[in-house]
Amino acid sequence: MSDSNRAAGDMVPGDGRWWRIGRVAGAALLIVVLLALPLYLPGEWLKVGTWMMTGAVGALGLTLLTGQAGQLSLAHGFFLLVGAVSYAVLSGPAGDPTYIGFGLPPVVGLLGAVLISGLAGAAFAPVSGRLRGIYLGVASLALVFLGFWLGRALPAVAGSTSSGRLPQPFSIFGLSVDVSRQLSSLSVFGVPLGRDERTWYLYLLLTAIAYLLAQGAVSGRPGRAWRAVRDNETAATVLGVSVVRVKAGVFAISSAYAGLAGVMTAWWTGIMKPDESEVAGSYGVTVSIAFLAMIVVGGLGSLPGAVLGAALVFGLPVALPLLTQSASADIGSGTAFSPIVITNFAYGALIVLIILFEPSGMAGLGRRLLGPARART
Amino acid sequence: MSGQTTGRTPGRRDVRPLRVSEVTVRFGGLVAVNRVSFTVEPGSIHALIGPNGAGKSTCFNAISGVCRISSGRITLGDVDLGRTPPHRIAALGVGRAFQNLALSPTSTVFDNVMLGRHALTGGGFLGHGLRAPWLRRAARRHADRVAEICDFLGVARYLHTPAGVLPYGDQKRVDIARALAVEPTLLMLDEPAAGMNASETAEMAALIQDVRDELGVSVLFVEHDMGLVMGIADRVTVLDFGRLIADDVPSVVQRAPEVIAAYLGVDDGQGQPAVKTRAGGGFPGTGGGNGDPATSPRPGRDGRAEPDSREAMG
Repeated sequence: MSDSNRAAGDMVPGDGRWWRIGRVAGAALLIVVLLALPLYLPGEWLKVGTWMMTGAVGALGLTLLTGQAGQLSLAHGFFLLVGAVSYAVLSGPAGDPTYIGFGLPPVVGLLGAVLISGLAGAAFAPVSGRLRGIYLGVASLALVFLGFWLGRALPAVAGSTSSGRLPQPFSIFGLSVDVSRQLSSLSVFGVPLGRDERTWYLYLLLTAIAYLLAQGAVSGRPGRAWRAVRDNETAATVLGVSVVRVKAGVFAISSAYAGLAGVMTAWWTGIMKPDESEVAGSYGVTVSIAFLAMIVVGGLGSLPGAVLGAALVFGLPVALPLLTQSASADIGSGTAFSPIVITNFAYGALIVLIILFEPSGMAGLGRRLLGPARART
Repeated sequence: MSGQTTGRTPGRRDVRPLRVSEVTVRFGGLVAVNRVSFTVEPGSIHALIGPNGAGKSTCFNAISGVCRISSGRITLGDVDLGRTPPHRIAALGVGRAFQNLALSPTSTVFDNVMLGRHALTGGGFLGHGLRAPWLRRAARRHADRVAEICDFLGVARYLHTPAGVLPYGDQKRVDIARALAVEPTLLMLDEPAAGMNASETAEMAALIQDVRDELGVSVLFVEHDMGLVMGIADRVTVLDFGRLIADDVPSVVQRAPEVIAAYLGVDDGQGQPAVKTRAGGGFPGTGGGNGDPATSPRPGRDGRAEPDSREAMG
């Protein structure tokens, strides 16, 4: 390797110049639009957006686990519950006679909830480190039922199924998310920032952090280790990757993401209460499968795909009633063509179409459409 | 290969002998490798040959820690590889390329080769997620080194191409590049010339010699192409049915009656050659085969017997 310096200097960039400029411009435009939306959208549409972001955070975690590391988890709903309950307990009022609470500041509660969910995921290491793919998926399913049972068995922690407990609204340095629009002293361009607007910005920040962390890890050493474990465990081992540790680690990270999504779920619904049935609710199997649908629709392993998939799978059921002007009380009522039923049909059909025609999902579609622009220099 | 970018400069690597002594590997009742001993001297090119099912790949797997040995000892210098967790063996300076391509097909060549730096780099999810400056600096340094290695192997122009779309021969080179990215003192190549034509095999032979000459590392390789083996190996170890039947310089091994018998079958003493019923097996070539890969007999690819077919793919 005599002319090695030339080789290092010549490292050809994979993307064309215009592609990179376009990417930066696109990202900037997206940020501006996302920041400006609360100034134009009414509150109920902002709630659609914040629900999409909740889904996006969970889907990001699952796409790291399933798409990048090739491990399946159906326990996402369980870790959502762990996150939501941990937050409710950590930040709940200390003197409450019915519910256990530590009265910690919401920021501490939020970080604690994410940490506890991650640790709960790490505690599953004896299983998650050994099993592979679908086998882990089936084993992790047990956690959902454990969560369902624990939620009902411990009402002082998780809130009772009938009334539930109130999750402390987020506030930092005296700046609370929970301020009605009429009383808001904070305004941008003459638009007062009420509960929905503030929640939007909070969720946007959390989603951005979750996205950027995942992006850094995927493009760096952890991401390479995940993909090596996914593609060939023997080769990964021989090249110095501890397969057991990587698998357990990525499961814990994915659980922490689910925990954050759980806290966001509790804030969004405004109440912390365990599910009343194994199959329906905020933390059950259906939710776990919805997250799987998101990452399949979006394209396994793709971060933008996970966000788009979440927008579709979580967005549709809350957006449809607004579009059709029907009463939102219809959601979950199970009548013939409620938005939930329509969404289930929609994303069920979408999954079939995607697996038939574009197995790499919306991310694959995007690559195919933008591919020519990308190759051009 | 001038590796100014990393601590380990070529020629100054601390290359230690690999000693395999009395190693036995059992799979249930099956003895795949039976009390095999040989030594790979520092800086030598050492071939491991034998008919299909002889235990070569099992031997490779035992050295790289992928399968546990039942008895015996494998040491690199004074480190006992048998007692080292498999994922720590790379950090001890053992780089291995696989027989069946074991690259991530959707990842770029750069990403594949960079995986070889796993043990040499650090940082977990948070460090990389937060884009810690020191990790990014280290990553840039390692990326330069990866580009160097890919250049050395002639795959630098594919750096940002998904590995799965490359021609077979180039994927083989990427695999070797990845093994070299470990900065090994012992490079293990499992059938580096498998599926290659005569000129590609000659290039591979030259490449293996270049690696040894420029880096001063030991090379241990399994190969069926006897032209390649006899042409470049300093020493040849021959296995048959898990046993060691010869271990010497190529010119001696070529003429050893046990080796000829293993490849062609043995005479049962009554004038009837009792040919072993086993697929594959290339004759070492006492005549004609030396140095010309095109005329060397090649083993059959199919019908590989256990345990050799328990390849690295697990």
